[in-house]
Amino acid sequence: MIPLLMAALVVRECARCHPAEAKPHPATSMARAMQHPADSAILNEHPVLTAQKGKYSYRIEKNLYTVTNGSASLTFPISWSFGLGDAGQTYVFEKDGIPYESRVSFFRAIDGLDWTLGASNSPPANLLEAAGRQMGTQDAAQCFGCHSTKTQAALEPGVQCERCHGSTEEHLATLKPMKKLRAADAEEISNFCGQCHRTWADVAGKGILGVNNVRFQPYRLTNSKCFDVDDRRISCLGCHNPHQELDRNDAHYDAKCQACHAGGKPAAKVCKVSKSNCVSCHMPKIEIPGSHYRFTDHQIRIARANDRYPN
Amino acid sequence: MKQAVEAQQSGNFDQAIRNYKILLEKYPNIAEIHSNLGAALAGEGRYADAIAEYERALKIKPNPQVSLNLGLAYYKAGQLAPAIATLSKLHREQPSNLQALIVLADCHLQLGENKKVIELLTPAQKADPENATFNYLLGTALVRDRQTAQGQLIIDKILRNGDSAQARLLMGTTKLTVNDFSGALQDFAKAVELDPKLPDVYAYYGLALLATGDQPGAKKAFEQELKTNPNNFDANLQLGVVLRQDEENDQALKYFQHALEIRPGDFGVRYQIATVELAKGQLVQAQRDLERLVKEAPKFTEAHVSLATIYFRQKKKAAGERERAIVAQLNAEKQANSPALKAPQ
Repeated sequence: MIPLLMAALVVRECARCHPAEAKPHPATSMARAMQHPADSAILNEHPVLTAQKGKYSYRIEKNLYTVTNGSASLTFPISWSFGLGDAGQTYVFEKDGIPYESRVSFFRAIDGLDWTLGASNSPPANLLEAAGRQMGTQDAAQCFGCHSTKTQAALEPGVQCERCHGSTEEHLATLKPMKKLRAADAEEISNFCGQCHRTWADVAGKGILGVNNVRFQPYRLTNSKCFDVDDRRISCLGCHNPHQELDRNDAHYDAKCQACHAGGKPAAKVCKVSKSNCVSCHMPKIEIPGSHYRFTDHQIRIARANDRYPN
Repeated sequence: MKQAVEAQQSGNFDQAIRNYKILLEKYPNIAEIHSNLGAALAGEGRYADAIAEYERALKIKPNPQVSLNLGLAYYKAGQLAPAIATLSKLHREQPSNLQALIVLADCHLQLGENKKVIELLTPAQKADPENATFNYLLGTALVRDRQTAQGQLIIDKILRNGDSAQARLLMGTTKLTVNDFSGALQDFAKAVELDPKLPDVYAYYGLALLATGDQPGAKKAFEQELKTNPNNFDANLQLGVVLRQDEENDQALKYFQHALEIRPGDFGVRYQIATVELAKGQLVQAQRDLERLVKEAPKFTEAHVSLATIYFRQKKKAAGERERAIVAQLNAEKQANSPALKAPQ
């Protein structure tokens, strides 16, 4: 296991010069995208979690993950918890040095365990498969690459400063500017955020069609009629500040829409229905079956009832 | 001549080649010397030279056995298109020549032309239903062509003679077609255990390992296949893909180029070569290759996706948006043709 570095140390260092960005960041969901099980609020609030799925019983107690088929059982200490439970919290354990993704995850909407997204597609052939899916090397690199920050010395859980801005070492030694997205256009920003949230090319190239792609926001945004590769107003950063927690209030985004749709861009039409809560109509919330979560569809559009989900 | 033949028969190809060459200086128009020299060269693995000698021999005097040897030399050299041309002609002239038929079928199989294999072998298999080679090749073609029920009949026939690597390979291939990767993996592992030298066995084992997330294991399996079967298309292609993912672009390119030699013009391989060029920052070359590719294969979505990426990187906005519109159209067509994706939002 890669040694764990206290993320707070790096953040504190960054906060000395960049307090506006670094101080609120540790409270964001991104900064807590991966946690040691002892730090998982869900595991702390739920000392025992159980689920019966087919012939297998699952139990999570005091950071121990157990699966039983009635005659035999397997127990593993949880190495990491991934996610904060809104769209699921999934657990990673190790066997013989190989990481496994738990076959069940915690979902806030049901306040309990259910199949990890995609797990129900492949019935387990044995108890170990019932416990979890063996993560391939590429797979593990992708999961940890997005849910943690690899520094020169260690692995920091969560998306920390260096994950987006690069190594602090040279910056602290030379005060050379770090990577900034301020000058990037919408396409570049989309590709940058899409490293984890999936780019248009990732999703379109793999042909992930139907509602399963609603959680890949850069892909959906790129498919929007109003997406313009050159216009930063329609970039991820046009609406979201990654240094602060996501604002879930629809009205918060009105000004962002009106930056173009109130005369700011000649081609952008002005809505005849309303001047507020734009996203509540134009970015509908869609649930992926089994996810217990309604994702905001970032393909901005006039969404009519019974329209087919547009790719 | 006697000394040359004796040297050849005792496996001393080098001596035989020297003797045949001396003979050819005196008798350059004797077909048998050219064909024997071709056989000795083939025995040394010098297929390009062997092909030249067989062709000289055939020019002097047509001979079905030399034609078969020429087809085999092309086959072993991985030049499947001329192998097919030579063996097809021979098969037309001598339909009862089973060796020509089997090698011809295997050439088509290696090119992924499963329907052609089925067409060629079905009459022969009906005439000789217990022929293990026919059964294996025909079963493989049926399974790869997703004619699972027909394939299963052949697998059952093979299994009647007991568990075998061939049967396990076919069973695993059937499972791969329905995405039962862990089931396929078990069959391929057993096939490898029963006969590690069976052609394709490591390539398919690698495919199953890749599908179940064991990339390092898959890489080793593809390398193993290529040790005994350097012209295996899938092993070359997939090893290239694994190496590209590991950012070993030059190595990847080597395998892709060999895959392209095996199946000239193959769209999938050409796409992979373009992705390597893209990864190496060779945008102009990648753009040129992808533009040619989408011209020949206008519904190749991934190629349009990569082309859009290249255009945007080069700040060619209009071209990039045009490619994105094509991708949207292609995906909409796929969605319209898939009942599961038609659901309203």
